[in-house]
Amino acid sequence: MLVILRDLIRYNLEFRIGLVLVAIVLVMAGLSFVSPYPPGEVYLVPPDIPPSAAYWLGTTSRGQDVFWQLTFAIRNTLSFGIMVAVLSRLIALVVGLLAGYSGGWIDRVLMSINDTFIIIPLFPILILFYFVLRDTMSTPLLAMIMACLGWAYDARLIRSVALSLKTREFTQTSIFSGMKTREILAREHLPYVLPIVFSTTMNNMNWSIGIEVTLAVLGFTDINTPTIGGMIYWANQHTALVAGIWWWIAFPVALVVMTFVGLFLLAVSMNEYIDPRSRLARMGGSR
Amino acid sequence: MSSSDQLPVLQVRDLQAHFRTRYFGVNREVRAVDGVSFDVRGNEIYGLAGESSSGKTTLIKTIAGLLKPPLEMVGGSARFAFLPEWDAIGRAPPEVVRRIRWRHLSYIMQGSMNVLNPLRRVRHSFRDFAWRHLGGSKSEFDTRAAAHLERVRLDPSVLAAYPHELSGGMRQRVTIALATICKPEFIIADEPTTALDVVVQKEVLGMLRAIQREMGSSVLFITHDMGVHAALTDRLGIMYAGRLVEDGETPEIFARPLHPYTRHLIASLPRIGDVEQREGLEGTPPNLAAPPPGCRFHPRCPLAMPVCATTVPAMVETLPGHRVACHAINPGAAA
Amino acid sequence: MSAYPTYFAKRLAQFALVVFIGVNLAFVITHASPIDPVEQSISAVTSFGNTAPEAIAAMRTSLQELYGLKGTLGEQYLTFWSRVLRGDFGPSLSAFPTPVSTLIGRALPWTAGLLIVSTLITWVLGNLLGGLAGYYQRNRTLKLMGVVAMGVHPIPYYIVALLLLIVFGFLWPVLPITGGSAMNLQQGWNWPFVSSVLLHSVLPALSLILIGLGSWFLGMRSLVSNIVTEDYVVYAEIAGLDSRRVLGSYIMRNALAPQVTGLAMSLGGIFNGAVITEKVFGYPGVGTLLVDAVYAGDYGLVLGVTTVSIIAVSIGVLVIDLLYPLIDPRVELR
Repeated sequence: MLVILRDLIRYNLEFRIGLVLVAIVLVMAGLSFVSPYPPGEVYLVPPDIPPSAAYWLGTTSRGQDVFWQLTFAIRNTLSFGIMVAVLSRLIALVVGLLAGYSGGWIDRVLMSINDTFIIIPLFPILILFYFVLRDTMSTPLLAMIMACLGWAYDARLIRSVALSLKTREFTQTSIFSGMKTREILAREHLPYVLPIVFSTTMNNMNWSIGIEVTLAVLGFTDINTPTIGGMIYWANQHTALVAGIWWWIAFPVALVVMTFVGLFLLAVSMNEYIDPRSRLARMGGSR
Repeated sequence: MSSSDQLPVLQVRDLQAHFRTRYFGVNREVRAVDGVSFDVRGNEIYGLAGESSSGKTTLIKTIAGLLKPPLEMVGGSARFAFLPEWDAIGRAPPEVVRRIRWRHLSYIMQGSMNVLNPLRRVRHSFRDFAWRHLGGSKSEFDTRAAAHLERVRLDPSVLAAYPHELSGGMRQRVTIALATICKPEFIIADEPTTALDVVVQKEVLGMLRAIQREMGSSVLFITHDMGVHAALTDRLGIMYAGRLVEDGETPEIFARPLHPYTRHLIASLPRIGDVEQREGLEGTPPNLAAPPPGCRFHPRCPLAMPVCATTVPAMVETLPGHRVACHAINPGAAA
Repeated sequence: MSAYPTYFAKRLAQFALVVFIGVNLAFVITHASPIDPVEQSISAVTSFGNTAPEAIAAMRTSLQELYGLKGTLGEQYLTFWSRVLRGDFGPSLSAFPTPVSTLIGRALPWTAGLLIVSTLITWVLGNLLGGLAGYYQRNRTLKLMGVVAMGVHPIPYYIVALLLLIVFGFLWPVLPITGGSAMNLQQGWNWPFVSSVLLHSVLPALSLILIGLGSWFLGMRSLVSNIVTEDYVVYAEIAGLDSRRVLGSYIMRNALAPQVTGLAMSLGGIFNGAVITEKVFGYPGVGTLLVDAVYAGDYGLVLGVTTVSIIAVSIGVLVIDLLYPLIDPRVELR
């Protein structure tokens, strides 16, 4: 694993850029633990001050320091993304592996349900959830709901890996040589499944954070916990753009874009590294 | 066996082709074809035998001018009689090459399961490949294609099918029909029957031989299956680790194999009534990025001598029409 | 050819399943919530004044009936389904007494027009450019496009819409940033109205296109660079086929087949993007309708739009699925 990381850092530009971006974001999130201001309170500092030496990224119309607010926002947004990613990985793994390995009618039924969740537009459903839950909609609850809705695409990917593994010769060899199923799964198959899980995690995080930001901007989430979308929401409420308080929106947007692009680059470069055909292309083995 | 006495259709002299790669900071040069010379005459089937990493496929890719990075032709020549001005297809300009492709030189690929465009009917593939050479209107061409299929005993209705609707053996026969519709002088067949079961294999080989006899073309036939060579080819060349070690008329090679490697290949063929134990060769084929000096077979050769590790043996005509490159057989002959 | 009827039947069955699960999901969500929409609506309506208790009671009954919330859960379920099938979601509270279905009917053409046009442009253009990038891998312009695509693709629709709003609203105000058309024009097939519609749709369409292009580009590029190594492509090149023919008939065609499937799978996501884009630009489609309905607490409208969205997207997917055999005849393998 470490060798892979070292190779990627050394030779893959996309991975390097992605790593740098994600590192910046993580540092910001980590700084939230040493923030001099508590996250939920308002009117702690003079409002509407542009970026300056005293307030690095300026202050908001609600009297909050943009920089420190941002650290909490990105921390909450990231933890949200991770929560959704972990929960939906579990579901995606169970469904994908079960469908791939079992085959037959189990596979067909699972895939029909799976495709249903791919087709159904999730945004209106989420809005409906918000509509009926209103103030009881908390961030963890939203994370759970999204995890239960967003596993379908990745489950399909995992299933195709399982399908190809099932029919590979080395699986038959392992069975014939007396390996227990548990051993086969853990030692032979896991190295193939893990990379897919990893790269889909990045994409899943992008997806869930994107939706969270969008919902928050509309005011459809718990707007008292600071998140990136929440910051933009409040900025819109105070018509920050029109009032010229551009830093209130610009910096959250910049940071979240960094997150998206960084995670995406990581996912793409890992994927490319894993796929031997794309490696051949990089070696100059094509036109 | 009627081989023409005129100029050979293909003359390969000292051909060299290497794979050059640079990835993650590691440079590698694999000497896949390292000085091969042989002739293919008109109206004959020349077989090329050898194990998996012997360089057979790379050799024919180089001969056919199918060179894409990292594969590069580094030296030597492979001259076709129908393209005398150029000493290798890989060195001719694209317009010239386009003219001869399929019309004078065609190709039957390894694992022909997937060589036809899966989303188009067979007749579209025929049109794509051959119409520009044969001309005529679309319907005239379609009629010609149907006639050609009948002549090789295929049902012309195959033209209306999609590739996935045909069985593996059927697809292979369609590919042979496709490769021969322009009556090319030279056909390269790269392991065409490897993925087929024995019964279908027999049909396909029979079809190939019948077409070859009728058109008088030359076929360069690659397979590691010595049994197929015995049944099909007129002359045979044995490759090992990127070099040609022996060649001659097929019955002669089977009756009197000279090179130790050839002897091993032929001895490993099962024969009815033979209950002797077979012995495998020691060792493994060499790493072509860092091949052994001198004769590449010497680490595994039962007849190895000190000179074998230093000097590359030359290909010498030891018996009439039978060449071999081996210090034990031809002492003092250096390349 | 005989496999086609089975294929069509399977796709229809899938369509029915999606609609069934989707509509049931809507029902479960709304009826399993701890909040009573009737009480919600009543409190929204009566919060500003004094309403007599009898009036409130009367409102409660009529609202219950309008919302289909009378009777047992089983009865409500049947009422719900019968309404969905009839397309009747009751009157809208925020635009009383206009029926929900009328409002949706007015907004749907806007969304449909925006979505269909921008999706087609995105899919065709993205795949074309991506295919070229996968084939001509040394071309600098195409490589640059790839880098841009990588940077833009992960960004969610909202942010792109916001950026476009800032650019064209504040920095370079040449395009209208709200509304579906200029307010004072008469609707109909006259040029001033149509041109106004087109002008107003540029920004929403642009934000949908910018994001979408990236993902089709990247996907096609990767597909094509894998397909060029396939046997049938190599064989066609060996045979000396004109490279344009190889690119078109052998490479692109085979690469487009999975992209058609991909289009079907991404319709849901594209619709999501359209919802938020509409809201940002005040475009009078179902997206804006939905969000405004939530703000107004209009239960019937929210439920109606959600249900209709599910059905509309499913129909879109079904249409694409039924057209798929035109490009890939191997339907037995699906």
